[in-house]
Amino acid sequence: MNRSWIRVASLAVAAALIVPSLTGQAKLTVAELTAAKSIGSRQAPITLEVFSDYQCPDCKRLHSATTQQVIDNYVSSGKVYLVHRDFPLSMHPYSRQAARWLNAAAAAGLFQSTENALYAKQEEWGATGNIEQALASVLPAADMRKVRVMESSQRAQLDAAVQADVNLGNSRNVSGTPSIFVTHRGQMTPLPAGSVSYTLLKQYLDYLLQR
Amino acid sequence: MAAAPPIAVSHPRRITGVLLLVGRAALGAILIFAAYAKLHFNGAWHLRDYNFIFAIGIDSYQMLPLWAVSWLALVLPWTELALGLLLIAGIGLRWVASITTALLVVFMIALARAAILGLAINCGCFGEGSTNPARELILDSVLLLVALAVTVGAFSSHRARRLPA
Repeated sequence: MNRSWIRVASLAVAAALIVPSLTGQAKLTVAELTAAKSIGSRQAPITLEVFSDYQCPDCKRLHSATTQQVIDNYVSSGKVYLVHRDFPLSMHPYSRQAARWLNAAAAAGLFQSTENALYAKQEEWGATGNIEQALASVLPAADMRKVRVMESSQRAQLDAAVQADVNLGNSRNVSGTPSIFVTHRGQMTPLPAGSVSYTLLKQYLDYLLQR
Repeated sequence: MAAAPPIAVSHPRRITGVLLLVGRAALGAILIFAAYAKLHFNGAWHLRDYNFIFAIGIDSYQMLPLWAVSWLALVLPWTELALGLLLIAGIGLRWVASITTALLVVFMIALARAAILGLAINCGCFGEGSTNPARELILDSVLLLVALAVTVGAFSSHRARRLPA
């Protein structure tokens, strides 16, 4: 009788040690990944959702010419909540992989630096498909390790988050990138797709904030 | 002495007149619809902020400085609406048809330029069903032909009315 109890207890202890290492860390949800790819306060009066494809040259242009200024002048002051949405286009062979890496980086708390790196090295990884190498050449080694761990351990969740954004874009008739949706006081307005000049976007944002 | 028989309007002239009337009405309707589409979208009227959205679309042609983009975005929809209504009503046809033709020529030049430069109007990398400058060019060529015909017709009928009886 005592030996049976010892066997059962041993098995229970072994299970308690082994099972967590098998299951690994908790799986990320789509909502968590969306939040990780968003910048600013959710209480901001304006929400800007940007559907983009990391292999899209106009998305790169938008990012460099407009997005950073929006972050500096509107997001940081709590006027705009900026949400990134992935919309990899079928014409770009590596954009879905890039989106997965971006989501992995976002989960590791490295969204902005990785987004900057992806656009900075767009031509390089766009030609070879070697996104990991391109990111590794820009991100610090410690950060790259974190991104790699996320990419390998949460791959299904990352792909699910990308697909959720694509499904959302399809439901809104997004057909190209970049596509921007501006939501203010519950009303969502799609902007003409394509890179948007910061000056024109600023005029519109200022108008909305005055209302 | 027997009265002179009435001068009958020739059959071809009548047909031409009907065709021009149809062309004028169609062109007018298209212009009115174009104005409507710029002022009413996303299920609501945007009479106070249509110009901000439209300006972004105009800017994608990369032809004009931003001050001109903003001004054009403000006035163009109302200009289209006025031209459309005047065309249908047949008021000031020579002027209205000429201005409409000139507008279409300018628009076609912008489209052609975008097609040649490979500009993706309103698009960075579009998927299927996207706006294609070349396709728009073909459609607007048809509109321009109609506008030209209406313009020529307007001047011809004005000249015919001024001829002594």
